Amino acid sequence: MFQVIGGRSIQVARLLVPRSAVLVEAVRGRKSRTDPVAKSKEGRIKVPPPVDPVEMVVLKERFTEYQMMMRALRLEFKEEVLRKKYEEETGSLAEERARQEATEHRTLMAFNNQENLRMLKLRILRIQKEKEEAERKKVEAAIQCEQEQQESIKEKERDILKLQEEAKNFITLENLDQRIEEALDNPKNYNFAIDKEGRVVKQTMLQ
Amino acid sequence: MTPEFRLKRRRHKILLYFVQHPQDNPANIMVHLSSLLLKKYHGGYVVIRLALAGHKQANRPFYRIVAAYNKRARDGKYIEQLGSYDPLPNIYNEKLVSFNFDRIKYWIGCGAHPTKPVAKLLGLAGFFPLHPMMITEAERRRAQTELTATGAEDGLQEGQNVA
Repeated sequence: MFQVIGGRSIQVARLLVPRSAVLVEAVRGRKSRTDPVAKSKEGRIKVPPPVDPVEMVVLKERFTEYQMMMRALRLEFKEEVLRKKYEEETGSLAEERARQEATEHRTLMAFNNQENLRMLKLRILRIQKEKEEAERKKVEAAIQCEQEQQESIKEKERDILKLQEEAKNFITLENLDQRIEEALDNPKNYNFAIDKEGRVVKQTMLQ
Repeated sequence: MTPEFRLKRRRHKILLYFVQHPQDNPANIMVHLSSLLLKKYHGGYVVIRLALAGHKQANRPFYRIVAAYNKRARDGKYIEQLGSYDPLPNIYNEKLVSFNFDRIKYWIGCGAHPTKPVAKLLGLAGFFPLHPMMITEAERRRAQTELTATGAEDGLQEGQNVA
């Protein structure tokens, strides 16, 4: 039935005269209802504490009074709380506050609208400028493109002319023999010597 | 199954936290916005009771008068602190109590129940009427002291008569 406890626990029934040096507690519910009664408690009849009828009557009177007073107080406090809430929501101060807030709101909205208009104008200007810039750039790009096209055409024409001119020196089937004979007759020597000072010597050992 | 075991089991189940205002008042008057993460108790109500504080020191109790939900632990999370009570007398032989009457009025108006010791303290303070049990206890003690005084007187008288 008793347990030894070290620290603090919620259901501690401290024994007034602890015979043992250790603090013991009575833990509720160690036995279930089917367990047999202890030997020391066999003939025990639990008796409620004796009631004095005179005192009981007086007590009942006092309790009814007390409860009436408590109920009255409770209602009073409830009413006060409700009144405060009402005052807060629909009192004179609340109305003033609401009016002030409304005026403030209106001024702020007006300011906001003005700002919006201003920003709108600025934005329109900016967009216009950007559009003009874009147009200009497009035109410039188109001009550039055209110029480049023209230049490439000219380049190609030049290349064609160059090729035509070079074609006069090409070796064809008719010139073949002639050219071979020419090449054999004129041996070309590409060897040369150069020193550190940069003097070029083209005279080498002819083969 | 012991009752403590049952309580522990139930504690594990209630782990849902509703983010909404609780309807704690039986009269459903108003909703307090002290914290949005208050637990929603089914059929729970608010009590004004004493909660033990300062558990780091043994043998030195100090109580806080607190508005809390009925189902919460005695020293657990409370809604608002409404005062304090020091049960040990100080050097001038006074036990110090403090109350925040404005908030107590608010909570009782919202439907909170004070416990017996809190009602007794408030009765002594004059905010509530005196609790009947306090008056009866005082009368009983006075009768007891008178009995012992008369008994001592009788004993003295008898001793004198005998002597």
